[in-house]
Amino acid sequence: MSITLDQVTKRYQGAPVVNDVSLEVAQGEFFVLLGPSGSGKSTLLRAIAGLTGVDHGRIALHGQDVTHVSARQRGVGLVFQNYALFKHMTVGENIEFALRVRHMKAADRLKRRRELLRLVALEGMDDRLPTQLSGGQQQRVAVARALAHKPQVLLLDEPFGALDAKIREELRRTIRQVQRELKITTVLVTHDQEEAFALADRIGVMNLGRLLESGKPDELYARPATRFVATFLGAANLLLARQTTQGIRFGSTPVRAHPTDKLDGGREHEVVAVLRPEEIELAPTRDALRTNFIANGVVEELVFTGALERMRVRMTSGAAEGQLVSSGAENHASSAFLDVTRTQYEHRAFPVTLQQSVAVGVRRIHVLPTPLSSYTACASGPEAAERLARHPFLAELAARMKTRIASRVEPTLAAPDRNVAASTPISGVAVIATQNNLLQQSEWLLQNGAAELLVLPSQAAPPQRVLIHWADDSARRSTLAVAASVLRHVPAEAVYLGILPGAADDAQKPLGVRALLDARSEAQSVHGLEMRTELHFGGAAEALNRQLGESTDQMLILGISSLQQLRDQFGAMLASPVPYSLMIVYRPAKELEVNPRLDGIRDTGGAGERAALS
Amino acid sequence: MSFRAPSILPGFGITLGFSTFFLSAIVLIPLAALIAKTGTMGWGDFVSTIFDARAIASYRLTFGASLLAATLNGVFGFIIAWTLVRYEFPGRKIIDALIDMPFALPTAVSGIALTAVFAHNGWFGQYLAPFGIKVAYTWIGIVVALTLIGLPFVVRSVQPALQEVQRDLEDAAETLGAGRFYIFRRIIFPTVMPALLTGFTMAFARAIGEYGSVIFIAGNLPMKTEITPLLIVIKLEQFDYAGAAALGFMMLVISFIMLLSINLLQAWGRRRHVAAGR
Repeated sequence: MSITLDQVTKRYQGAPVVNDVSLEVAQGEFFVLLGPSGSGKSTLLRAIAGLTGVDHGRIALHGQDVTHVSARQRGVGLVFQNYALFKHMTVGENIEFALRVRHMKAADRLKRRRELLRLVALEGMDDRLPTQLSGGQQQRVAVARALAHKPQVLLLDEPFGALDAKIREELRRTIRQVQRELKITTVLVTHDQEEAFALADRIGVMNLGRLLESGKPDELYARPATRFVATFLGAANLLLARQTTQGIRFGSTPVRAHPTDKLDGGREHEVVAVLRPEEIELAPTRDALRTNFIANGVVEELVFTGALERMRVRMTSGAAEGQLVSSGAENHASSAFLDVTRTQYEHRAFPVTLQQSVAVGVRRIHVLPTPLSSYTACASGPEAAERLARHPFLAELAARMKTRIASRVEPTLAAPDRNVAASTPISGVAVIATQNNLLQQSEWLLQNGAAELLVLPSQAAPPQRVLIHWADDSARRSTLAVAASVLRHVPAEAVYLGILPGAADDAQKPLGVRALLDARSEAQSVHGLEMRTELHFGGAAEALNRQLGESTDQMLILGISSLQQLRDQFGAMLASPVPYSLMIVYRPAKELEVNPRLDGIRDTGGAGERAALS
Repeated sequence: MSFRAPSILPGFGITLGFSTFFLSAIVLIPLAALIAKTGTMGWGDFVSTIFDARAIASYRLTFGASLLAATLNGVFGFIIAWTLVRYEFPGRKIIDALIDMPFALPTAVSGIALTAVFAHNGWFGQYLAPFGIKVAYTWIGIVVALTLIGLPFVVRSVQPALQEVQRDLEDAAETLGAGRFYIFRRIIFPTVMPALLTGFTMAFARAIGEYGSVIFIAGNLPMKTEITPLLIVIKLEQFDYAGAAALGFMMLVISFIMLLSINLLQAWGRRRHVAAGR
């Protein structure tokens, strides 16, 4: 491996800017770090270059640990967005800078300079001053300068940011050529997905300091595992759907799914479906569709962009009640809009005009493996439910997840009775406010179909630290999946607490440590989640209480596999209102054995998640 | 050459008019008067006045001390500007404000204050005396006074230039393998050099014309610690207006030559780069 990052963390004023990033870049690979501004991608690049120290973790270049090696000694080449050329030196002097520092002989310097200028197609420009060159030329000089000392790794920080579109494309090609010719391991940082697609062998998407996913461009685009990646890499419509034995269902409209699509132990559950705009088909009537019908709609916006026709279709039936999560337009959050793009060919086959009624079909649906689809604020009265639905932390979480918060009144919650069932099964994550009969309420909700339960104190802030614990190993998978999903949307540190019963017993310690390692490696390999681990001894509830205390800026994610467990092990903890945010993940043990629904798409080899249609 | 529409910006005529009027009224006419006054004395008198041994000693002292003071300011002013720009520390704002004090203080006040401190029984003077170092009433005192009044010029011209040195440049140099001193010498210093030279020139020019603070600390011994401006005042007190004007004229010529050569040096430095690009 050319570059190895191991749990790299960089904090700025206490808050992690780069949060537990682990990454391996192969020799000669062109890796693109993609993310919105403030996602920590530039900080990570500076950490690789050695210009920023890290607070935690390890960085290795070509197998050598360089975590504490200065930028001077690391031997990397760095290219900046604003070129950072030395203005008082000529192009030649700029390029020779690294060689002069190394006291190379003048003749050798000249030879190397010529080579580099040829490489970036700037022959004969040696004596120009940077100010006499165009932006594109200046950036070429910067690339040549960064390569002069034959660095092991080339790092580029938004190198095309200050250039206009045409030059950008030309320079992009040059950089790709140079990279191929020298076979140099390259990391480029950008916020432009098109640039990432054009250059990368592999893309890593960062948000909120975390590396969410990495993979080949086409795979990431077709099969994202997270909402963020789905919507950041190109346009996407996210819809809530239900996964049933028959396949995927939007509201009351069943869609025939791919036969390989498995179902979670026969139990129906809510999922998030990704519909790319170009995978949507429009036809005059339902019968004229060649693909699976999902809704009827009306064309509300129509933009001609040359090769493509972009439109926005408001759904009037079918998937419309299938609770559209987002179509990229926050201002239309209340209506069910679909973004659609069509080619000229499709347009000729079925021209549409504004306000035309159409039938909407979909060629391909990708179901996100995330266990958290939507939130339902539950309370015994309508006012309390509404208030809870507007809870700032919940609202922030839902907004980041691009999902919706429903509210639901369950009068039974006032005095939970095991024999009274909820009117309909609860879908999505149930949310309740913390209160005195927390244990009873939790049990009742989990009994009535809630697979995840979020308990929020009224003061809850976005957590700085998320503690993860599961009562027994059968709850591990589901808890990790939920934790990974939460942590993708919250800039917090993740800590797994392994708790061994009884006093510190030497014979037990290795077992405990192994459990920690297992947990960490599973989080890493299955969910791409990096977390710390801590081992404690004694009663689980006591150990957790010690860690959490009265803090309001922590969150606990607790996995259980039976309600009995909740009562026996954590009953005391839930006897009084908890001051921190608490997420209970409940999967009855039996069900998990039949079909671990939460093992996510990645380990089923990519076949399982595709509800490919038609 | 046409003065019509040299620029699309309107108002060229009126602004040029004002500039010319102002320059004439404030600078050129008084200077012309000085030269005219010098002209009232005969050639022989003129030569004997300006080449008088006492006058020559005063030129040497004035320009020598000014050059030395400006050089000291160049070094220490740069360090102060560096400290103020590069580091965050409590009291930084206060020190930053203190830099301008010599601008605001009447120069006589600073002269008296310096004399009190550096006299042989003053706060500093008493510790320097046992080593045989006398500051007050010697040329060293003059240099100290001129350094004080010239400091803000250097700091204030270097500060913005240092602020503009992009951190990226240093980061780039560091990844290319340069050490801290190398980066300073090859990247930061050349970038700040023009501003430093400007500050140096202003401090130097200010020192040449300084009178108020020097006369208190200098002791004013003829041939030893007598600066040219003082000699002019002495001539004035003796109602030798033409003689005073002649010395003034001489100062004007020397200052002009020195400032011109600094400017030419600067222009040459700029041109060298432009020429290198051709």
